[in-house]
Amino acid sequence: MSTAEIIARCQALYDDLDFTSAREWKNADPKRKVIGYMPVYVPREIIHAAGMLPLGILGGGDQMEVIHGDAYYQSYICRIPRSTIELGLTKKLDFVDGMLFPSICDVIRNLSGMWQLMFPDTYVRYFDVPQTYQDHIAGEYYIEELKELMAGLEKLGGVTITAEALRESTAIYNENRRLINAVYDFRAKQPSKAPSVEVYLLMRAGMVLPVEEHNQVLTDYLAAAAEEERPLRDNCKIVINGAFCEQPPLNLIRSIEMAGCYIVDDDYMLINRWLLDDVPLEGDPIANLSAAFLHASADTAAKYCDRAEDVGQYLLSTVKKTGAEGVIFTAPSFCDPALLERPMLADRMDEHDVPYISFKYAENSGQMQPIREQAGTFADSIKLWS
Amino acid sequence: MTITAGVDLGTGTIKTVLFNIEGDQIEWLARRSDRIRQRDPFDLAEKGYDSVLADAGLSRDDVHYVATTGDGETIPFRTGHFYSMTTHARGAIYLEPAARAVLDIGALHGRAVKMDEFGKVLGYRMTSQCASGSGQFLENISRYLGIAQDEIGTLSQEADDPEVVSSICAVLAETDVINMVSRGISASNILKGIHLSMAGRLAKLLRIIKVREGITLATGGLALDDGLMAALNESLTKQKIKVEARSHPDSIYAGAIGAAIWGAFRYEKLQQQGLLAKAS
Repeated sequence: MSTAEIIARCQALYDDLDFTSAREWKNADPKRKVIGYMPVYVPREIIHAAGMLPLGILGGGDQMEVIHGDAYYQSYICRIPRSTIELGLTKKLDFVDGMLFPSICDVIRNLSGMWQLMFPDTYVRYFDVPQTYQDHIAGEYYIEELKELMAGLEKLGGVTITAEALRESTAIYNENRRLINAVYDFRAKQPSKAPSVEVYLLMRAGMVLPVEEHNQVLTDYLAAAAEEERPLRDNCKIVINGAFCEQPPLNLIRSIEMAGCYIVDDDYMLINRWLLDDVPLEGDPIANLSAAFLHASADTAAKYCDRAEDVGQYLLSTVKKTGAEGVIFTAPSFCDPALLERPMLADRMDEHDVPYISFKYAENSGQMQPIREQAGTFADSIKLWS
Repeated sequence: MTITAGVDLGTGTIKTVLFNIEGDQIEWLARRSDRIRQRDPFDLAEKGYDSVLADAGLSRDDVHYVATTGDGETIPFRTGHFYSMTTHARGAIYLEPAARAVLDIGALHGRAVKMDEFGKVLGYRMTSQCASGSGQFLENISRYLGIAQDEIGTLSQEADDPEVVSSICAVLAETDVINMVSRGISASNILKGIHLSMAGRLAKLLRIIKVREGITLATGGLALDDGLMAALNESLTKQKIKVEARSHPDSIYAGAIGAAIWGAFRYEKLQQQGLLAKAS
């Protein structure tokens, strides 16, 4: 299968706001349940172990006109909760049996309450992840949080989630993370062979496909991309930071690359790479998931960093690891976590002479010319003067 | 010796140049410009590229770097792309080494760029979205008035009582022109009025980016309009900006020239690093 065929399939999944593939998965067996989740992270292993389909809900993108959603939020709130409400009210999520709202910011927390009021028959959970990292405090808390989630899913599905099922699901997601990291590593080394729009669509496919299918798609893409000859352009390598929740329109990603920047790392759909290492399969699977979150998970503005000197170190190490020549801070308008963290990250980049630029977007941004010019002149300055 | 091509895909015209660069020695091998006129710009770019190669007796394999600029980000045979501010600044230094600012006056935009002696961009500003300060607007008006484009400059300089038009909006400006025609204002005075209006906006751009003295090179298609250049220097004097605006017979190629020169620079840099990119 060629990269074009694989990406065409991923694009179709991306464009489909009715989530047809997830509906078909559910309709294949009346006992099946679908659990929606929002960014940044939920332990999909538990949902999978319950025999359910985790479904990433990343807003309505630039194809959805938000009419009802605007009535629920003030004008100074980002767009993802509005378009998510629009998805709900227009019955595009009427097949979803449960919704998980991770503790990313106040807006998403409030959305979980609104969802409970609007859709009383849906299982709704505000998934509160720890903000400290000691095992005897945060670990104990988080294990209980995971157990509560497990109990909720067991009740919803009328199933028992066994330790063995959890281990099997963990193994499958370990494989998923390995393949995703392989795609990211491949792109960092040969960015001309894995355009960022393709990598993005591949990752988006993982939000709606069963993980086993996604693993196959990733395997096929890696094989096809390695074979395909594509011209190497004189672009600079950059890392994207700040786009971990509301997603940019596809054209924005395309515009950045068109402007002369190879994106060699990003924080789009961070859930795919949240846990940095394989989660051990021996021992208590819930304790293992907890330890992985506390001690080997990615860093982002939505996760508390308890030592000031550590802020920005994860981004800096990404820049070094990928050989990036600069950072583009691109955050959604009104995204409190990303925009409040940005000055601290920028300071860290300054300290290490890493050039950067910043701009904002919304998931329905349409004017790409200013972004192209900004990213393009940034690329020029790196190529000619750095 | 580095053979580089520069392709400037503008709104109205594609400019293609070919250079042979060795250290400070810059040899201009061939040039070509094509009006787009509703044709496929990518086809034209391809033909223009092959044409300059044929003129120089070279083939595509002889070219080390193809640099695009303007709207040429997706031209398939490019090695790399540079943005217009970057390329016009470098092209201006090549054409007029004393220049420290550029006014790029094209079919759709006017753009002021401030640079240092190496062509490094220090600041820039563009006209707003409206096309009333652009070559396309001037072309439309000359068509309404039944005047050939190459007559515009001469006629404008014959004006004795110019009538200034709106500099904010092309639609308002066109309405102004219709009113002037019905009031019997001469074509010379109308054209000079348009030139003064455009020149006022361009001089303001220079002031905003703090270009207060020295030589500014006009580039882009309208740099060859003598009437506009005269109006521009009048506006600069009127706004007490001690800048001399100059043009050059090859001003239209400035973007393509800058792209080609930067392309050679990048080629050498990448060669040193063992990281050569290759055009398709």
